[in-house]
Amino acid sequence: MTSGKSSEIRVSIESITKTFQAAQGPVLALDEISLQIKPGEFICFVGPSGCGKTTLLNMIAGLEQPSKGKIKQDGQLISGPGISRVVIFQEAALFPWLNVIQNVEFGLVGRMDAKKRREIAKTFLHLVHLGKFEKAYPHQLSGGMKSRVAIARALVLNPSILLMDEPFAALDAQTRGLLHEELQDISQKTKQTIIFVTHNAREAVRLADRVLIFTARPGKIKAEIPIEVPKPRDLTDPDWPTSYIRKIESLLREEIEKVLKEEVDDEWTLKKADLLRPAGLDLGSGI
Amino acid sequence: MKAFVWGFQDRSFLTAAAVSVQRIVIGYLISVFLGVALGLLIGRFKILDETLGSLMLGLQVLPSICWLPLAILWFGLSEQAIQFVVVMGAFLSIAIATDSGIRNISPIYVRAAKTMGVQGFALYRRVIVPAALPSIITGMKLGWSFAWRSLMAGELLFVSVGLGQLLQTGRELHDIAQVVAVMMMIAAIGLVFDRLIFAELEKRIRLKWGV
Repeated sequence: MTSGKSSEIRVSIESITKTFQAAQGPVLALDEISLQIKPGEFICFVGPSGCGKTTLLNMIAGLEQPSKGKIKQDGQLISGPGISRVVIFQEAALFPWLNVIQNVEFGLVGRMDAKKRREIAKTFLHLVHLGKFEKAYPHQLSGGMKSRVAIARALVLNPSILLMDEPFAALDAQTRGLLHEELQDISQKTKQTIIFVTHNAREAVRLADRVLIFTARPGKIKAEIPIEVPKPRDLTDPDWPTSYIRKIESLLREEIEKVLKEEVDDEWTLKKADLLRPAGLDLGSGI
Repeated sequence: MKAFVWGFQDRSFLTAAAVSVQRIVIGYLISVFLGVALGLLIGRFKILDETLGSLMLGLQVLPSICWLPLAILWFGLSEQAIQFVVVMGAFLSIAIATDSGIRNISPIYVRAAKTMGVQGFALYRRVIVPAALPSIITGMKLGWSFAWRSLMAGELLFVSVGLGQLLQTGRELHDIAQVVAVMMMIAAIGLVFDRLIFAELEKRIRLKWGV
């Protein structure tokens, strides 16, 4: 459930439009997105590839700028990246030349003395259950472990907003399940505002207070589905998850089909034409 | 073998080796400094890349010994002339490797660092240079072998104390033993540096990065 006064707004996305310059001309990625996010909310952006959800995340982070419209954090315009809005990327992005504990304390260097920094880093490393791996190097870790270190590295900075871009997409289902539990645990304790991008409906239903479904490009908000089920949530419960998951998946599928049609359509037409040729012709070419 | 013993007794081998090694260490360190700096600048300022980029590639192909006549004209028959040749041989390859290393950094490291509040010079110092380090070290290794070669060529042509000069003297005196002995010494020094310094550096990088 959301914490804080209901009148307080953590992130205000006001009529955001983003256009990219591509070889073929300008491409409209996001079309007039507006959204208000309250403190402590867990929001999931769900949508087909190319719908602009990652672009929107990057703009909230300050890594990219909108073409039109404003994004504000606590009433202030977001003009660049900063530690109050830390991003966790899909590939974990751990620095390979630093060991685990050095990675975790990376954002704290220069802000406090070494001893304190190391203590805080250790605490968070223990929080993600990797206390024994302080001196390991990223290449020695499994995918799940890397994700956990990335989470620790972000949490150490105590950001007001945590942005996660499909952080568990490359992991197997079991590891993902474990990380969901850890993330829920952590978010219960720290009560941060979390914006999570995924295209996995189950993940969204498990974690989010609100799920926002994006259309295929140009991205608009197709639907907003609040999930008013108390946390921690059990997806194996026979009652509630199915209807939510079905609803999200069907809305998502509509958009994914649009994307597929666009990409595959030309080929489809060609194949149909081939099949309509008389049987006597050589079907070897054109296939 | 006799030449070796005689040479060492004479202290001439050691003196020559000391002079040569000293020359290359100085020349090489200057090359590394200039090369990495230039590589960083080219990576950072697009306009430098556009103007200097092709010039650098062209100059790098020029065998460093071709710089000797120019060096002698500019600096006279002096230590600086030889140092100039050494530096010209090495620093361009280091610069090109540094620039290439920086270009090939995965952009996600920079973005991750930015969201953690790191920017400007700190971004270079803490993220970009460490990320490019494997490439830079490869460039340094290459630069070293160019530098050593340039030095020997320079010493052969320009008479002064040093291993190259010993080589020349051996030739003039028709002393094959000396010539071969000095050649072995030159190869040995090159090998020692390679093993001791570069192999170590590369091993450390491999341990951390897991490549």
